[in-house]
Amino acid sequence: MSEKPARAVKLNVINEPKDSYTGGKSSLCPGCGHDQISNVVVTAAWENGLEPHRIAKMSGIGCSSKTPAYYLGQSHGFNTVHGRMPSVTTGAYAINKDLLYLGVSGDGDSASIGIGQLIHAIRRNMDMVYIVENNGVYGLTKGQYSATADVGSKKKKGQPNETQPIDLCALAINLGCTFVARSFSGSKKQLTSLLKAAMSHKGFALIDVISPCVTFNNNDESMRSYGYVKENEITLHMADYIPHFNPVQEVEVPEGHFRDITLHDGSTIRLETISAEHDPGDAMAALTALHNAEQSAKHVTGLLYFDASKPSLAEDLGIVDTPLLDVSDEELRPSKASLDALNAEFLS
Amino acid sequence: MDSIVNDFTINIATANGTGSQSANLILLQSLFEMGVPVSGKNLFPSNISGLPTWYIVRLSDKGYQAPGDRTHIQVLVNPATWDEDVAALEPGSVVIWNSDTKGKTVEREDVFSYPVPMSSLARKINPKIAKLVTNIVYVGVLAELLGIDQEKLESAVAKQFKGKTSAIELNITALGLGRDYCKESLTKGDPYTVHAREIDAPQFFIEGNEAAALGAHYGGVQLLAWYPITPSSSMAEGIIAYIPRLRTDEDGKANVAVIQAEDELAAAGMVLGAGWAGGRGMTATSGPGISLMQEFIGLAYFAEIPSVFWDVTRVGPSTGLPTRTQQSDISMLYEGSHGDTQHIVLIPGTVEECFEYGWRAFDYSERFQTPVFGMSDLDLGMNRWACSGFTYPDQPMDRGKVVREQEVFDAFETFGRYLDVDGDGIPYRTLPGSGMDPILYRGTGHNPMGVYSEKPEDYYNLMQRLRTKIDNARDLLPAPVLRQEEECEVGIVFLGSMENSIQEIDDILEATGLKVSQCRVRALPLHSDVEAFVRRHEVNIVLEINRDGQLWGIFRRELPNDLVNKVHSVAYSDGMPPRAQIYADLIMAKLEEVKQ
Repeated sequence: MSEKPARAVKLNVINEPKDSYTGGKSSLCPGCGHDQISNVVVTAAWENGLEPHRIAKMSGIGCSSKTPAYYLGQSHGFNTVHGRMPSVTTGAYAINKDLLYLGVSGDGDSASIGIGQLIHAIRRNMDMVYIVENNGVYGLTKGQYSATADVGSKKKKGQPNETQPIDLCALAINLGCTFVARSFSGSKKQLTSLLKAAMSHKGFALIDVISPCVTFNNNDESMRSYGYVKENEITLHMADYIPHFNPVQEVEVPEGHFRDITLHDGSTIRLETISAEHDPGDAMAALTALHNAEQSAKHVTGLLYFDASKPSLAEDLGIVDTPLLDVSDEELRPSKASLDALNAEFLS
Repeated sequence: MDSIVNDFTINIATANGTGSQSANLILLQSLFEMGVPVSGKNLFPSNISGLPTWYIVRLSDKGYQAPGDRTHIQVLVNPATWDEDVAALEPGSVVIWNSDTKGKTVEREDVFSYPVPMSSLARKINPKIAKLVTNIVYVGVLAELLGIDQEKLESAVAKQFKGKTSAIELNITALGLGRDYCKESLTKGDPYTVHAREIDAPQFFIEGNEAAALGAHYGGVQLLAWYPITPSSSMAEGIIAYIPRLRTDEDGKANVAVIQAEDELAAAGMVLGAGWAGGRGMTATSGPGISLMQEFIGLAYFAEIPSVFWDVTRVGPSTGLPTRTQQSDISMLYEGSHGDTQHIVLIPGTVEECFEYGWRAFDYSERFQTPVFGMSDLDLGMNRWACSGFTYPDQPMDRGKVVREQEVFDAFETFGRYLDVDGDGIPYRTLPGSGMDPILYRGTGHNPMGVYSEKPEDYYNLMQRLRTKIDNARDLLPAPVLRQEEECEVGIVFLGSMENSIQEIDDILEATGLKVSQCRVRALPLHSDVEAFVRRHEVNIVLEINRDGQLWGIFRRELPNDLVNKVHSVAYSDGMPPRAQIYADLIMAKLEEVKQ
């Protein structure tokens, strides 16, 4: 009996299999929402038919910023310094504006140390996708609150968080960001479509993705928690013990509805998908939706705000159409005649 | 009384923001055009308007460019510093003063006193801008007293106000009023006078910052990312000013991008991004900016990203004296960032070198895949210096070991981003977007293949290779400038803008019978010629404009043990450009101390 014929590998529009978009093995905690986002990056890039080597993977420092190693293995990447990925991306973009810049950051990286650079990248309408993997907590340094942690969030030890959180989507809309979306790491379908749209956007595209931390955001009160604590108090006292979870269930919420999502510990997070009537061109409506969601302890997800009319950074820079990288050395260096003329003028 | 010709110092005391700078530059330019060796120092406050400013013009047939040790001619326009300025004058000095200044007079009998109603004269021309015109009136008075050619003055005015006819006319009228008042109402009693000199080679005046800016263009800078800071802003603005002329195509599009960053950290990040993407990125800043950039500087060193940083140094620490000069950042640049680092630093001492290192910095940075610093200072960067012209780069751009073609890439048996194939410590790199050897650059430990590693041998080997790489650069960097005596008695090692004071210091020392050789260091790490110079001389002084002897510290650490005791530090800084007598005295004292 002959061997079974190999199953045809599914190819995208540029005849690449999905494998061309995958990366290395994740070293994040098992069950981490960030890994689900990495999978979405792979799917979105593949489905969009992007050339993998024409993507530049950018990140700062933190759990989220480690993830570029786990997707798009054929792309160059730069895991930069804490909170400063936007500036490095901006510099790279000035030299090679034809690459797709895919930035991944976290809530510490973006809402605290890097908030200035995030704001200024938005202000310049820097042409990039900027994903925030938002869990309200510093994971790599073992569980301190971040600036997106909700008021009343409680750590296992120490005082509850009493400082107002920063809502990155509201901030971005106020700054005139041209693409603002919120999603959830378990909402694979929604997140994939948002990311595919963001990749096609000319300008700054922010996607704030709620991505629960399985290890440190572990209390009932937190809207971003898994709160494994109750049943497993003994094991959690061991700081280096990381419980194994399955990734959170996949969830799709119809437009205009909300659904309570059960997390690993049985606690819930309430996700509302913004209604089909929402006009993403209406900044005030988007801010109102965010405000109303906050008042009713919900996270509103979907494309909140979109504006395709603003020029992106490349247009503002007034540079030649060819990426500067491809301008020849002979063109970059002004001629000898030009220097002779300058010398003569100075001497006159 | 014998005349004193072309050998004196004029000090002009005004207030900031009154337009005195253009008047002073006209004075300087007219003397320069007469062929008189002249230098100007602007001592200005960190202020937009109102605080005291002094402009020091030194004439010296010997070509001395340091500010003189004393004032011979004092111009007094600013009541705020009046009494102090008068008190500081030595007997026999000249004082030209605005006799319209309320409550101020000059009562000293031992000076040549020339009261001039500068404000009333200025008001005659235009009462609304009398304050501005006052400045040009004193230039007219000086011109008459010293014998400055009217033709040269008018030509200097024309240069200063390039084509602005009404400004040119107004200034020439005001000069005339000053001159006429002098002729009619003053009797010259002082000995100071100016004689035109033959000009052997034509020269022009230019600031170091503008020269470095032009150099950057001839180095093909592709991204300037900067944040405004004194005294470097005029370098960035110089780059921007020349883009339309040098870097723009017929459609008005440039092949260099400029981004004014939100802070120095972002500016540094952008420079790294540009280098990572395969372009030539630079920033221009000063010490406080470099302080903020430290983290990125370490990343650039460790991840091996070409990047160019110009530091126009000023007095530190902290905000320091933002408008005063110092060689303050030698150690910070050489060892910038946490962890073990070592950086290439180019140190121009002339405007010609500002231009040259402006373009060469990119070549070194791409060749060695590492941050390269240009270290200028406020004195060199913001004052005007004579220049006989800039020299076009003598070699094509060196883009370093970048693999751009697939065939070249395929010819490598093994390709690793951090693999030392040639034994020179410099690995090959590919660029984002090329699809060749895609790796994730990082500031964390990595092995020769560019893969994350915490293995002890990977870290150790990487750090050794980085040391070898920078060590190998030594003799490829600009060699020191040596001016050596046959008798190798005292060697003075110095750097940067001390170039402008060193000959006067040397002459003061040689007048005592010493034989003095000079070695001007032009780059770090130190060239092997520097060590050889130290070895040849009985005793060496490392002379620098700071408190701690930062360059000396590098000598102490890097010279072989048998030479360490041959180098001694003379370091002094008070914010002023180096005055020769102060440094000469300190050197003499140090030599005495060494003898004992």
